Amino acid sequence: MRKKIALFIFLGWVLLLIGDRVDELRVYQGAQIAMYAIALSSIVLLTGYSGQVSLGNGAMMAVGGYSAALSLNNLGSPVWFAFVMAVVVSALFGALLGTAAARLSGPYLAGTTLALAVGLPEIANQFAFLGGVPGILFDVGFPPARFGEEFTQYKWFFWIASFIALFALFITSNILQSRYGRTWRAIRSNSLAAELSGVHSGRMKILAFTISSALAGLAGAVMAMTISLVAPGAYTLSLSFALVTGAVLAGVSSLPGVVFGALILVAIPEVADVLANRLGGDENLNNYLPGLIVSVLLILSVIFTPNGPGEKLRRRHHKKM
Amino acid sequence: MQKLLETFLIGLSTGSIYALMSLALVLVWRSTRVVNFAQAGQAMLSTYIGFEIASRTEIFWLGLACAIAAGALLGAGVDYFFMRVLFKHAVSGPAAVVAPVIATLGLLGLIRSIVGLIWGGEFKSIKAPASTDGFTIGERTIPFSPLNLLIIVTVFLILIILAVIFQRTNLGLSLRASAYAPEIAQLAGIRTARTRTIGWAIAGGVGGVAGMLVTSSNFLSPYSLDLLLVFGFIAAVIGGLESMVGSVLGALILGIGLTIILNYIGTSLVFIGGFVVLIVVLLVKPDGIMARGRARRA
Repeated sequence: MRKKIALFIFLGWVLLLIGDRVDELRVYQGAQIAMYAIALSSIVLLTGYSGQVSLGNGAMMAVGGYSAALSLNNLGSPVWFAFVMAVVVSALFGALLGTAAARLSGPYLAGTTLALAVGLPEIANQFAFLGGVPGILFDVGFPPARFGEEFTQYKWFFWIASFIALFALFITSNILQSRYGRTWRAIRSNSLAAELSGVHSGRMKILAFTISSALAGLAGAVMAMTISLVAPGAYTLSLSFALVTGAVLAGVSSLPGVVFGALILVAIPEVADVLANRLGGDENLNNYLPGLIVSVLLILSVIFTPNGPGEKLRRRHHKKM
Repeated sequence: MQKLLETFLIGLSTGSIYALMSLALVLVWRSTRVVNFAQAGQAMLSTYIGFEIASRTEIFWLGLACAIAAGALLGAGVDYFFMRVLFKHAVSGPAAVVAPVIATLGLLGLIRSIVGLIWGGEFKSIKAPASTDGFTIGERTIPFSPLNLLIIVTVFLILIILAVIFQRTNLGLSLRASAYAPEIAQLAGIRTARTRTIGWAIAGGVGGVAGMLVTSSNFLSPYSLDLLLVFGFIAAVIGGLESMVGSVLGALILGIGLTIILNYIGTSLVFIGGFVVLIVVLLVKPDGIMARGRARRA
C-alpha cells in the first residue's frame, strides 16, 4: 500500500517534469490522455471486472460535464466542488440506471445503454437550461498568479487533469484489489457459483455500475474543462464507441492498460490527420478517416485479441514456462 | 376525437417503419443470438445505394428494389465474412460475452466511415414516391398524407410476404427450425450455417426497406438511422426479442405511443418517452408482451 502511494507520487513528479519540457500542443494532449485514462478505467471496472457491457459511457460523461458546468455557473461553486458535483450526480444517475441494469444481461444491457448514448445528446438539445446545441461554458479560471507569467492555461489544465487522473486511478486500483474487485470477478466468471457462496450479485452489480458512472462523470467534467465547454456535440455516440475501442485495445481487464488505450485514442486523430493530408486532404477524408481507423482497430482486436494484447503475451509467457 | 384519429394514423405509419427495423433485429437475434447493432449501418449503406439509383433514374421503386438487393447481399456478406470468422475465434476470458456485441458496433462504425468517405456528411433527400401533403377531407386538410398511406401498405405487403415465406415454405420451416434448435435441425439434414446466412440476408433486405421508407419523408446522412435503430430495438424488446409477431406489434404500439406524445406534449419528450417505455418493459415484463410464462433466454 505504501509502495503504491510512493509509485503514484513518483508518477506525478514525472508528469510535472514532462509538462515543463514539451510544447503547448503536447501539454493539451497530455490533459486529453489523462481524461481518457479516467474514462477507460470506468469501462475496465464495469466490463472487465463485473462483466456488464455499457455502450453509454459517453452519456455518463455528459451527465458529469453538465452537472459540473451547472454547479459552477448557476450555483457559483468553487471549481473543486464542480468536480465533486460531477462525481456525485453521475454516481446517483448510475445507481438509478444500475438498478435497472442489474436485472439485464448481455444484449439487453448493451441496447439500453446504446439508447442512452444516442438519446442523451438529443435531450440536452431540447431543454433551455442545458444551453441547447451551443452548450454552456465551463471555465475553471486562469492558473494562480504565483506560478508566474510562463505558466500557460493549457499547462494548468494538464496539472488539474493529471492530478485528478492519478487520484482516480489510485482509488480505482485499490477498489479492484479489494474484496469488491474479487467479488466482481467471481460474479463475472460464474454468477450462480458466486451467489451460492453468499454474494449478493444484484447489489454488487449496481455498485459496479455506480462507481463506473462516477468515474465516467469525472472524466466528462475533465473533458469539459479542457475544451472550456459542455455541448451535446462533445458527447456523441462516436465518443462512446471510441471509449469501448480504447478499453478493448487496452485489454478490458487491465487497469494499467488504460494509459496505453488513452494514448492510442489521442494518437489516432493525429495519425489520421497526417494520413489524410498525404492522401490529398479532401474534406470527407479528414472527417471520416479517424472513425475508420477506430472501427478497423476495434474489429481486428475484438476478433484476434479480445482480451487485450497484454493477455495474449501473458498467456504465451505462461506456456513457455 | 378527430385529432386522436389523425395521431393514430400517423403513428401507424411511423410504427410500421419501426416494425421493419425491429423485425430485422429479431431475425438475426433468433438465429445468431447477437443483437446486430450494425443493422443501422447496413440499412444506411443500402439506402445510400437506393438513393443513388432513385435520384439517377427518378424511379423510387427501382431504388427501393436495389436497396433491398444491396441490403440482402450486405447482410449475407456480414454473416459469411464477419460473424463466422468471429465465432471461429470462439473466445474465452473476460471479453467472451461482450465480443459479438462490440464487433457489431465496430462494424457499424466501419460502415458509417465508409459511407462518409464516399458520400460525405451533407444531408441527402430522396424524392418521395407519393405526395407528402395531407389528404383533404371536406374542408380540412389532415396531416396524414398519401405517402403515409403508401408506407403502411408497403410495410404490410412485406410483412405478408415474410409471413408466407416463414409459414408456408420449406425455407421458412428450416429457418424456424435452425433458430429454435440448431443441433436438432442439423441432425434433420438442414444446413444450418447456410440457413443462418439466408436469415441474415432477409434481415438485411428488410432493413434496407426501412431505411428507404424513413428517408422518403426525412433526410439521409451517415447518422440519420441511429434513432431508427434505437426505436427498432425498443420495439423488439417490447415483443420479447424472440417473437416476430411480437416485434411488429411492439413497433406499432411504440409508433402510436410516441406520436401521441409528439402531438399532445411536445418533441422534447419523445425520446425520453421511448426510453421510459424500454426501462418499464424490461423491469415489468422482460419477456415481452408475447411471452407465455417462459423464462427469458439470454
